Amino acid sequence: MYKIFLYDGTFEGFMCVAFHIISEGIGKDRAIIVSKNEYQPMFIDSVREVQNDLKTFLEMRKGIIEKADNSVFKKIYYAFLSDTKDKEGYILRYLFFVFEHGKKIKYLYSDDLVNAVEKMAKKVSREIGKYMGLMRFYETDKGFLYAKFEPENDIIKPVAFFFKGRLNEFNWVIHDVRRNKVALYDRKKLQFLNNNNLKFEVIKEDEMVQMLWKKYFKSMAIEERKNLKLQQQNMPKKYWKYLVEKN
Amino acid sequence: MDILEKLEVLGAAAKYDVSCASSGSKREKHFGIGSTFSAGICHSWTDDGRCISLLKVLFTNECIFDCAYCINRKSNDIKRATFTPQEVAELTINFYKRNYIEGLFLSSAIKNSPDWTMEMLFRTVWLLRFKYQFNGYIHVKAIPYASLDLIKKTGFLADRMSVNIELPSEKSLRLLCPNKTKESILKPMEFITKVAEEEKNFVSAGQSTQMIIGATDDSDYKIINLSQHLYKKFKLKRVYYSAYTPVNHDPRILKVESPPLLREHRLYQADWLIRVYNFSADELFKSKDENLDLEVDPKVMWALRNLDRFPVEVNRASYEELIRVPGVGIKSARRIIKNRVFHSLDFEDLKKMGVVLKRAKYFLTCNGKTFERFLIDLPPEKIKQKLIDKNSLQRPRQLSFFDREVFTSVITGEI
Repeated sequence: MYKIFLYDGTFEGFMCVAFHIISEGIGKDRAIIVSKNEYQPMFIDSVREVQNDLKTFLEMRKGIIEKADNSVFKKIYYAFLSDTKDKEGYILRYLFFVFEHGKKIKYLYSDDLVNAVEKMAKKVSREIGKYMGLMRFYETDKGFLYAKFEPENDIIKPVAFFFKGRLNEFNWVIHDVRRNKVALYDRKKLQFLNNNNLKFEVIKEDEMVQMLWKKYFKSMAIEERKNLKLQQQNMPKKYWKYLVEKN
Repeated sequence: MDILEKLEVLGAAAKYDVSCASSGSKREKHFGIGSTFSAGICHSWTDDGRCISLLKVLFTNECIFDCAYCINRKSNDIKRATFTPQEVAELTINFYKRNYIEGLFLSSAIKNSPDWTMEMLFRTVWLLRFKYQFNGYIHVKAIPYASLDLIKKTGFLADRMSVNIELPSEKSLRLLCPNKTKESILKPMEFITKVAEEEKNFVSAGQSTQMIIGATDDSDYKIINLSQHLYKKFKLKRVYYSAYTPVNHDPRILKVESPPLLREHRLYQADWLIRVYNFSADELFKSKDENLDLEVDPKVMWALRNLDRFPVEVNRASYEELIRVPGVGIKSARRIIKNRVFHSLDFEDLKKMGVVLKRAKYFLTCNGKTFERFLIDLPPEKIKQKLIDKNSLQRPRQLSFFDREVFTSVITGEI
């Protein structure tokens, strides 16, 4: 019989569940992990809710890094951020592999599960990379730079940490419109909020700079080399909605 | 002239400069605005599919020189403009904080004198670094004939510096560039290499150069051989190749209908083989006036001429042998070597590792077996027929987006 484990939907919470499943010797094929707000109860299920607990999370992280290394931990984190269905199932089985094989996990290319998790992580890392370049900030009346985006994967955290290093001297807000999640930085602290009631007006000076940027963007294209297909290949249409130069 | 108009003129004037890299900086971070990112970041792509990473502008397009291939030459009747250092610095900061760009690429025509021009570039970069406390990426040109002192001062503030070599031979330079000599280009190049070796925080992302191809009759061998020399002697990070776009009608320039983009693409591939795969120009070419095969990539071209070295056995071959197999890259070769310790590899495994079997299957065996029967022992012409890259004519490649192995996400140029 399957056992169903519920968690709070966060990476930390997921790792706590995985910790319990592994340390209690529950087989990887007998456990199903579901996020609390996605679970639809059925009365035959045997359900257990696991609390998110920082100590357990840190222990789990330490275990993974000792057994494999930092890059494997990062891979797991990125895979978790992906919007793949049943990512929990894949990653749980992958974790069993990590504890079984250690560092060797990185070279098991021919294993389908390892391959699947690598792919999930790669997709996420690619999207993060794209948004490092394609995020567009607007100067607003409240003294905050403001950027909206609609990523496929839940990447607001790693993206915000990148901009914390990059735009360290400014106040800014990044808004994941799809999930209504917000990252807010006030030159001291980076916070992640769920509900967005922040209203910003773009100021006149920003419109001037947008115009400059559009002009520049146009003047950079070499007519004789025109290649819109290549442009779209590098910068797919789904990113255009919030791009100054494409609007 | 307002700033909008200046940006339009001086942006357009810089668009033929091909370097877009913003990677590899190791400059120490100070307090202030922004940072560099070691892999570089693309912030947009123009309608021609080229990556925009830096605000790429000329300081001025007023030129006292008269190079035949250049849109900004003295004898052209075009709209002229000159920025002030303050204007460039403000533009950079305004674009940077909105995440439009990764930093600044500042080049220039030569106005008044080489020293005057270099001084202006220095002042611009100085303003950015000290008044605005800007920590992002800056690539700045070293102007031929400018005093080495000025170049040195500027180099301490820049991440990368470059001197354009312009053309692949001295003969071509003499023909098309009456105001520049080989020495005027090589002297500052050599100087930058020397200072970079001695001083910390001097052009920490290294030095690059670019040359125009297709405007003269120089062969691909000559071009690649020159690059090889530049990588070895001057430790350049990159040589960029720019397919000549016919901007001037000048009888000294070879007639080109449209820029030779496929040739440019093949040169980048050959350059990559020289820089990363340990090929030499002499290996790739049989004679000195030879050109690359436009129909297949240079590695396939080389392999077909050296079929006696193949097939290579995946489970035994050395790293050096593996990376010379068409379809096997650095990354796949590393994966093969790490993975075959655990078990012997078959073609299925190779596929999962990212080996391009379409090309590799003619040159590899797994445990003595070929991918399909009769594949090995085919004559080179037959293999070539099957490998002719039908898409390549429509699909010129922009710089080295796909050459990346360290970091998998979006990136501009180079290692």
